[in-house]
Amino acid sequence: MKTLKPYLKYLSDAQIEEINEGSMSLLENTGIMVDHQEGLEFLEKHGAKVDYQTKRARIPRKLVTRALETVPDRFTLAARNPEKDCPLIPGGRPYSRNGGGADFTIDLETGEFRPLLHADVKEYYKLMDALEGISFIAPVFGQDMPVIGRDILMLREAFGNTDKPIHLRAFTGESLKLMFEMAAIVAGGKKELKERPIVSLLEAPISPLKFLDVTVDALWLCGEYGIPLDVCVMPIAGGTGPMTMAGNLQLLNTEFLAGVVISQLANPGAPLQYAARPMAMDMRTGFSMAGSVELGMMASAGAQMARFYNVPVSLHGPWSDSMSHDGQSILERTYMNTMAALSGANVLVGAGMMQQSLVISQEQLVIDDEINRIAFRAVEGFEINEEHLAAEVIDRVGPGGNFVADMHTYKFLRSERFETKLLYHNSRESWEEGGSTTLVDRAKEKALIIIKEHQPNPLPEDLGKELDEFVSKALKSLEK
Amino acid sequence: MSNNFEQMQKDLYDGKFSEVEAATKTALDEGMGAQDILNNGLVAGMEIVGRDFKSGELFIPEVLMCARAMHAGLEVLRPLLAESGAASMGKIILGTVTGDLHDIGKNLVSMMLQGAGFDIVDLGTDVKPEQFVAAVRDEGADIIGMSAMLTTTMPSMKSTITALKEAGIRDKVKVIIGGAPVTSKFAEEIGADRYAPDAGAAVDTVRELLV
Ligand code: B12
Repeated sequence: MKTLKPYLKYLSDAQIEEINEGSMSLLENTGIMVDHQEGLEFLEKHGAKVDYQTKRARIPRKLVTRALETVPDRFTLAARNPEKDCPLIPGGRPYSRNGGGADFTIDLETGEFRPLLHADVKEYYKLMDALEGISFIAPVFGQDMPVIGRDILMLREAFGNTDKPIHLRAFTGESLKLMFEMAAIVAGGKKELKERPIVSLLEAPISPLKFLDVTVDALWLCGEYGIPLDVCVMPIAGGTGPMTMAGNLQLLNTEFLAGVVISQLANPGAPLQYAARPMAMDMRTGFSMAGSVELGMMASAGAQMARFYNVPVSLHGPWSDSMSHDGQSILERTYMNTMAALSGANVLVGAGMMQQSLVISQEQLVIDDEINRIAFRAVEGFEINEEHLAAEVIDRVGPGGNFVADMHTYKFLRSERFETKLLYHNSRESWEEGGSTTLVDRAKEKALIIIKEHQPNPLPEDLGKELDEFVSKALKSLEK
Repeated sequence: MSNNFEQMQKDLYDGKFSEVEAATKTALDEGMGAQDILNNGLVAGMEIVGRDFKSGELFIPEVLMCARAMHAGLEVLRPLLAESGAASMGKIILGTVTGDLHDIGKNLVSMMLQGAGFDIVDLGTDVKPEQFVAAVRDEGADIIGMSAMLTTTMPSMKSTITALKEAGIRDKVKVIIGGAPVTSKFAEEIGADRYAPDAGAAVDTVRELLV
């Protein structure tokens, strides 16, 4: 039998109840602002108290409870290649994705900070396709790509360069629908897409407690197409959320439940994740921080709330404010990721990302692949049974002996340990012989090799053609 | 008298707004001039606050409390200063550019500038170039400040500057820009007057532009 899941717990059961109660009464008394006429009418029809003047909807507890009943406790982020599916199950193994939306990079060859370009996008997809510790892929954007339709073009690149699940980022409601149609083409139809959603989406309410029209539309469109949704709640403690960790968590949980109501009452059973992404304002500059130990603590408590509601949870994993893939970056992302994984996150988000989520780097992706796989290993635990406890072996070897040449060692040699190629554990002599490389040097080397050699599984030619035709029509329709 | 100013500055630093308000009234009763109280009490107090904020000793919410105390005093002086025409330190139009809904940074800049005594006209988010131009005309502002958080909305800052030129009022206002993906190099490229990386720097920059 495996060891226990080593889940961190900050909240007692009573504290979880208290936060849940607090959210229920905030939804009922304070309510949320919904900048969407139809959305307000919809909520009113279901029993919310709506003030159309202030666009405020006050949501009674029984509505929330009903919505929670239909949220699925598990679903799969499907991949074009089913071997790369990511089933998200409470208590299941974590998966990971890169941070999405960056459009600056640190040049792999020269180390210079510069805009990300269309030509880089392909390389990024190739690299992430090859890295095992990056389970699914979010877009990075080329600044030289046309602004209108950039999201659609990026999805076209993604389909061509990876067969892993793809995470979307849409600039408008219109382009979101077009992207779902693209996904349907690749999946083989709308019905097939619903059965095996090969794309997923993130949508965030505006903290505190405000839902934009585009957000409501996206929540509903996801439900209609059966696309898994991250209900991404990200109050910035001290800015758009209370300064206290408990208060920020209270708000975050309330916003999540509001998202559940809007999603589930329209499309009962629509797959969604509790994306608890608490942030904190740097009180000296106002910046919204990515690396801070309190973020890890709040997110961890958020994961407990997700387990209480029995929904999969997505947390910031390898995450940092650093300007480059330096020591600070690795320090912040390692503790953030470890805390998140040990909190039971189903998805660890952030690989590659730094500087206020504006910058992504290939070296960082390679390093984060390693950080992620270490985290996967840490939550996996280890086997405990007679053979693994090895009393018999200890007895056989006896006091003063050693285990190196024992059959037991031989048997478990390759199954017990995480294998690293990036971290150095050898002698100084051979380190110097190998060029005295740092972790970042080795990451760079690995990135260069992958980009040169890796061949992603291509889209079948006819599908590629069909997509291209669709994309050129889609772009024309957007330009109008 | 300098003693009183010292106490006023200390209370201001501690965010004690009723004390600052009372001290301002007392100073007036004692026959001190409004301009004198403003310069040597309130503004001098905020300068200490500014210095400690810059060195990292004070946090933004503390600065905002100090500013509230400063304003409590300023309100007492305002009618008197208005008579002599010295009530406003400058008027600034702020807005997040068209297509962009991020306003947390802009709001923070607004709070800090108000705290420093400037008048703010906040046009909100998704502000089109013509709206900036109209506001400059209607409000007679000294500066416009544009915020953009998306690389895709940054070009609209340039459009606003072009629109100001076309309207023949580019030389009437200074333009400052900010937001996470914005840089001083970009400011230079599009012909903005200045860039500031954060809300604290925005206050300094505005001050420099207005002298
Ligand atoms: C909060 C947030 C949101 C919230 C915004 C809520 C709100 N009321 O503003 C929501 C959820 C709505 C949102 C939406 C989107 N967002 Co957003 N968002 C952020 C986030 C996490 C924090 C931004 C923030 O508020 N920071 C805190 C403030 C205080 O900092 P700041 O704005 O930089 O301001 C400081 C300085 O820049 C400066 N400053 C700011 N303005 C000005 C103006 C002047 C004149 C001066 C002098 C100085 C100045 O002073 C401020 C204080 O010191 C950032 C990532 C990050 N960590 O920064 C992404 C981010 C900015 N968002 C991003 C994206 C892509 C989007 C979306 C397109 C996502 C989508 N559709 O899926 C939408 C776009 C919506 C739209 N049309 O605008 C990207 C932008 C990438 C890029 N390079 O363009 C980022 C970087 C994240 C990412 N990688 O995806 N977002």
